[in-house]
Amino acid sequence: MASVSEPALRADGLRAEWTRTWAFACRNVIMARRNVFFVFELTFWPGVAMLSHGLLTQFLALTPEMTAFILSGTVALSAVQVCQLDVAYAVLFDIWSKSMKHQFLAPVGIRHLALGSWLVGVARGLIVFGLMAFIGTRAFGFDFLGGGAGSLAAFLAGCFLCALVIGLLVCTLVLLFGTRAETSAWAAVNLIVMLAGIYYPISVLPGWVAAISAAIPLTYFLDAFRAGYGFDSQFSAPLTKGFALALLYVALAHWALAAAITRARRTGLLLKLSE
Amino acid sequence: MLAVEARGLTKTFRTGWLHRRRTEALRGVSLEVPRGAIFGLLGPNGAGKTTLLSILATLLLPDAGSATVLGLDVVRESLAVRRRLNMASGNASFVWSLRPAEVLMFYGRLYGLSGGALRRRVEELVELCELTSHRKTEYNELSTGLKQRLAFAKALLNEPEVLFLDEPTLGLDPDVSIRIRAQIARLRRERGTTIILTTHYMREAEELCDDIAFIKAGRILAQGAPDALKRQIRLGEVIALRLDPLEPAGLASLPGVLECRLREEHLECAVDAADKRLPEILRWLHEQGVVVRHCEVREPDLEEVFVELNR
Repeated sequence: MASVSEPALRADGLRAEWTRTWAFACRNVIMARRNVFFVFELTFWPGVAMLSHGLLTQFLALTPEMTAFILSGTVALSAVQVCQLDVAYAVLFDIWSKSMKHQFLAPVGIRHLALGSWLVGVARGLIVFGLMAFIGTRAFGFDFLGGGAGSLAAFLAGCFLCALVIGLLVCTLVLLFGTRAETSAWAAVNLIVMLAGIYYPISVLPGWVAAISAAIPLTYFLDAFRAGYGFDSQFSAPLTKGFALALLYVALAHWALAAAITRARRTGLLLKLSE
Repeated sequence: MLAVEARGLTKTFRTGWLHRRRTEALRGVSLEVPRGAIFGLLGPNGAGKTTLLSILATLLLPDAGSATVLGLDVVRESLAVRRRLNMASGNASFVWSLRPAEVLMFYGRLYGLSGGALRRRVEELVELCELTSHRKTEYNELSTGLKQRLAFAKALLNEPEVLFLDEPTLGLDPDVSIRIRAQIARLRRERGTTIILTTHYMREAEELCDDIAFIKAGRILAQGAPDALKRQIRLGEVIALRLDPLEPAGLASLPGVLECRLREEHLECAVDAADKRLPEILRWLHEQGVVVRHCEVREPDLEEVFVELNR
């Protein structure tokens, strides 16, 4: 082995902040390129969901507005699922490869892993949306821009913010309960989307469930998007409420993950997840 | 100037239903490691070596006590500590689909390296750890030795001032172990890196370490330079004899003979002072009609110190 001659390398500042964030983004991209299950996440399941739900709307002979109502739920579920998985992968990759301690041995914060992996999640979520929009428009005549470009952009931004919250919560659960909580990465989003009124208005839910729904930001984003297709909005200023709630939850989820990491350092779970 | 200072570190792990099962991993460990030293932590499995390293590396929070690395508190100033240390373990693992350079790029970025500086550093370490011909191989396809070399390369990414090595040569072929040991010695010699290593291999510790601490059941039993430890444990010197008959009765009860043990074909007698006892023993053997085929005086090795402390 040769000898090393580089002077001391220890970077800090804004550039280093971005570099640390970029590290997680690059890793997610490499993993997405090399593992076949990412292709399924990105194309197969969203494609199947859009085709099956679109065919269902045709069988039931739904109006274009009702078709938009159903298919907007289908898009929300797939986009949120794919994006939140990327955030969860920031921790899950290390758990599956038993390399957790190396990540937390480095001077990184939650903001780096969350933002870096979320950026890839947003990119993948947009690809999923593009695919679903293509199928929806060509096969079922669903116009995703029916409510206007601004409405669609706000809807997608809301979906991706919700995905960030769910992804951070999955990371928190995994760092609290170890590998037992892995399944939450796939289960959590389905529960939340169900409560947010994915294929129905939340007015059909029992009163106490509807109260929970009102605390979920995705409920407001779906409501605002569907309003663009002529449905009565169930909330006043849904986008403002949705974004305010989502940002509050991002802050809370960040705090929860920080607390879970501290607990994992205290209990030794951080080391156990590396064995 | 101390690189590492620990005072009364304790750590208990709670496991099982309602966390009722308690395992005391550390029971008041205190330690001082000067800058630029290679310090060995020796002890049986479950002694607390990895727990101690993990606390110093900020991966684990102690229940009580305090520790500093380069004068920084490992609990209150953990982020600043992490910038200046690194760690490699014998059973290290990385994300399965990444290639060696990609693993190094990922962790290099976590340490804030970017652009040309990162690329140069990665290239240098790939070459240093002889991974050049495995550039295209994904991590899960690498052999154990290559994985270990990659873990070692990763630990050097940020040019750490303090380097923790947890069983760095565990399960490696002898030639790879020798090269890793040479690299560890060179790091200290050329860069003044403080290195704390845990190992099961006594010869490795004896070859590399300035100071050694024996840890057992969460307590440090003895600490010092290898030679001083041998004196401290009072193992005396060893007279190794090949005799016919192999083990004559009564030899162990001669004056000055502390203990006799049969090891393969040799009878090893620990004595208080070899220069005084050797003539007496040879005379006694002659009187008993025992044939002496081979005789050798040597100092006890660390393995014997370890065995003695483990009793």
